[in-house]
Amino acid sequence: MIADLVQNTLDGLSAGATYALLALGFTLIFGVLRRANLSFGPAIMFGCYAATWTHVNFGAGLLLLALITVSGAVLAGAYVERLCFAPHRGGSAIAAMVASFALWMQFEELATLIMPRHLYAFPLLYEGDPLALGPFTLRIDALAMLGAALAACLALWWTLYRTRFGLAVRALIEQPAAAALAGINVPWVFVRVFALASAIGGVAGYLVVASHGQITPMLGMWATLKGLLAMMLGGLGSLPGAVIGGLALGLIEAHTQWYLGPQMRDLIAYLLLFVLLAARVPWMTTRSAS
Amino acid sequence: MDDYAIGVLTNIALFSFIALSAYLLLIAGEMSFGQQAFFGVGAYAGGILTTLYAWPLPLAALAAMALGAVAQFLVALPTLRLRGLHFAMATLAAAEMARILFELMHWRREIDGELAGPDGTQGFRGIRWIFEHGIEPLHYLGIVGVLLALVLALFLMIERSKLGATLRGVGLDPELAASVGIDVQRIKLGVAAAAGALAALGGVLYAHHNTYIEPRNFDIMLGVHSLAYALIGGLGTAFGPLLGVLLDIGALESTRVFHGYRMIVFGGLVALVLVYRPRGLLDERTVQWLRQRFS
Amino acid sequence: MSFLEVRDVVTAYGKIEALKGVSLEVAEGAITCLLGPNGAGKTTLMMTLAGILRPKQGSIVFAGEEIAGRAPHAIVARGVALVPENRLVFPAMTVLENMHAGAYQRGDKKTVAGDIERMFGRFPRLKERAAQQAGTLSGGEQQMLAVARALMSRPKLLLMDEPSLGLAPLVVEEIFRIVTELHRDGTTIFLVEQNAHMALRVAQHFYLMEQGKVTFSGDPGSLAEDEVIRRAYLGSAQRPA
Repeated sequence: MIADLVQNTLDGLSAGATYALLALGFTLIFGVLRRANLSFGPAIMFGCYAATWTHVNFGAGLLLLALITVSGAVLAGAYVERLCFAPHRGGSAIAAMVASFALWMQFEELATLIMPRHLYAFPLLYEGDPLALGPFTLRIDALAMLGAALAACLALWWTLYRTRFGLAVRALIEQPAAAALAGINVPWVFVRVFALASAIGGVAGYLVVASHGQITPMLGMWATLKGLLAMMLGGLGSLPGAVIGGLALGLIEAHTQWYLGPQMRDLIAYLLLFVLLAARVPWMTTRSAS
Repeated sequence: MDDYAIGVLTNIALFSFIALSAYLLLIAGEMSFGQQAFFGVGAYAGGILTTLYAWPLPLAALAAMALGAVAQFLVALPTLRLRGLHFAMATLAAAEMARILFELMHWRREIDGELAGPDGTQGFRGIRWIFEHGIEPLHYLGIVGVLLALVLALFLMIERSKLGATLRGVGLDPELAASVGIDVQRIKLGVAAAAGALAALGGVLYAHHNTYIEPRNFDIMLGVHSLAYALIGGLGTAFGPLLGVLLDIGALESTRVFHGYRMIVFGGLVALVLVYRPRGLLDERTVQWLRQRFS
Repeated sequence: MSFLEVRDVVTAYGKIEALKGVSLEVAEGAITCLLGPNGAGKTTLMMTLAGILRPKQGSIVFAGEEIAGRAPHAIVARGVALVPENRLVFPAMTVLENMHAGAYQRGDKKTVAGDIERMFGRFPRLKERAAQQAGTLSGGEQQMLAVARALMSRPKLLLMDEPSLGLAPLVVEEIFRIVTELHRDGTTIFLVEQNAHMALRVAQHFYLMEQGKVTFSGDPGSLAEDEVIRRAYLGSAQRPA
């Protein structure tokens, strides 16, 4: 019993680490632009498919594939930013969000065109046996994911609190009107935030695909849903909240899946979100979309 | 008219219902990521009633609409005070829950010696009421078309009435509307119920046209499409969502010009149009202009 | 040629024109103030000058260059800084970080550090609270921080929108003392105020604005103070019974 609890907690934390990264990406964009980028997951998927294509046609090492994934995600993110968010700055939030929703269709179809099979193998992060620690098994790739997620969070923290760019991002999140008055070139910050968020998403995507050893076109939808769910659970617009939301989601999923199966796992996560939203729990409604 | 054309036109009509339900909510100022759930509720409810309990389709359709209205009402009630992304996420959560419930639903009965009814992820096959009652595809298109025309007529009547102005007022500035004495909550609940009924109507007709439905039909992609249809077509008139559906299913799908990359073209088109027309092709200004030209 | 020349500026929110053709001038090295009742469009004018709002029509020439419709960061780069209404400090950032934000466009770390020292000299209370989160400061301290932040960009023209709003009389005195100091040190100041009494004490020239247009221009002696105050709060259309 206890063994299950601990094992599930370990598994939940490592899945949660990826969710945390996805949620961070969503939150960065939402915090600064006050809009949700619904093509966030699909852009990540684009990066993963670029890596898959490279691997299938040329074969490539883990590091190169990671770089391609991140670059692909950043490229796709830039496309979304230019077409869906830059034109509607100060305009309709709904138009921006629906436009980003529409680009999702593009990414999904593009993936199936370039890589027609539903499922492709992807090189595993680690192919050996899991580590046995007494009654628990620790998958090495799960450890790697936790480590990579931690490194990404630290890098993000350093960027936000130790660089000029980070100061500008925080200024925009805290007081958008005054940020422009302080001489911050707001549109340029938006572009760079998008790139940063897409890069973080790319890392998350790579970790997911490399730990499962496979990729399907459902990745886009999956990443968007998990990221949105984790972001909302942790409190919209809060970066620490995104991390907590992601980890919490991972833990909730791991435990409910163990006792109730995969469908109940998802059902309960959505139910939790719905209930929290309906109850208008203060931490969830700190910031609204513009 | 050949079968292919009939099929395309029927699809256009069917998806117009869900596009109109997304449109109705957008007019009232809410972005819903979840209309696909009520489309699914209508599909499953209608299919179950006609296939397992031998209800006539018209009655089953009415029941499906009622169920859709109630379902969306129940989702709207606790989320009334939510706006923007929060509201959209609540509808998404509800819709995904519905889809999972469809996956878990096994409602089987023996009909003519065989098990029929929804079978979880295996889907629900054999929704053959229209075929068993000798309704030709062309006749069915006629029925669906007439229903759509009635819905459109209702929309047009409301647009020109005080209710229509009130709805748009609530959508553009709910605080202002409330300050002049409009019961914004009641309006939003009414709109929710109507949107649910509308989506459900589309769903029940869809189920009987396809004869087979599965939970995957009602995933978030359908919701994405409905929003896209409503917004690209334009929020100025109920013909807007229709135009959106026509653009995708009518022009792009049927002409087969962009075979294989229709979604790439349509998705890009939506984003591009929105850059220049954030409220769609037939937005309020364009409709105003058209009315002046042709009156 | 004046330092700042505003000609027939029209700014609209959708179809509603908040500025219906505003013209005024700010002389270099002077304190100019803009008075007027609520809703006259004073903040809209400030936001237009700072580039947050784009004018539909008209021209804004600063130090010989047209700045109407330029992006806010470009206007800061040209030496115009706005201390916004309600201060709008960055609440979760420290006082020090807020000041660094004001210096965002400056690359020279050493001179920025020197300027920060000088700001702390001018605003000793901010120095005490340098590592404190700006959101926890009192109203008066936040106002000083907002001014310090704007000054960090070394503006040639300082715009101030209602600096005395919501502050206790003693604090207001302090704020205006600082305004006078800045003026003495050579900064040109264009000041919007509800507190007409204090504003007239420091200004060399003032304008009255009502319903989107300038209705009076003169120096502090040219109109009886109680008349000015009446117009500033009520507008010239209303007369006591």
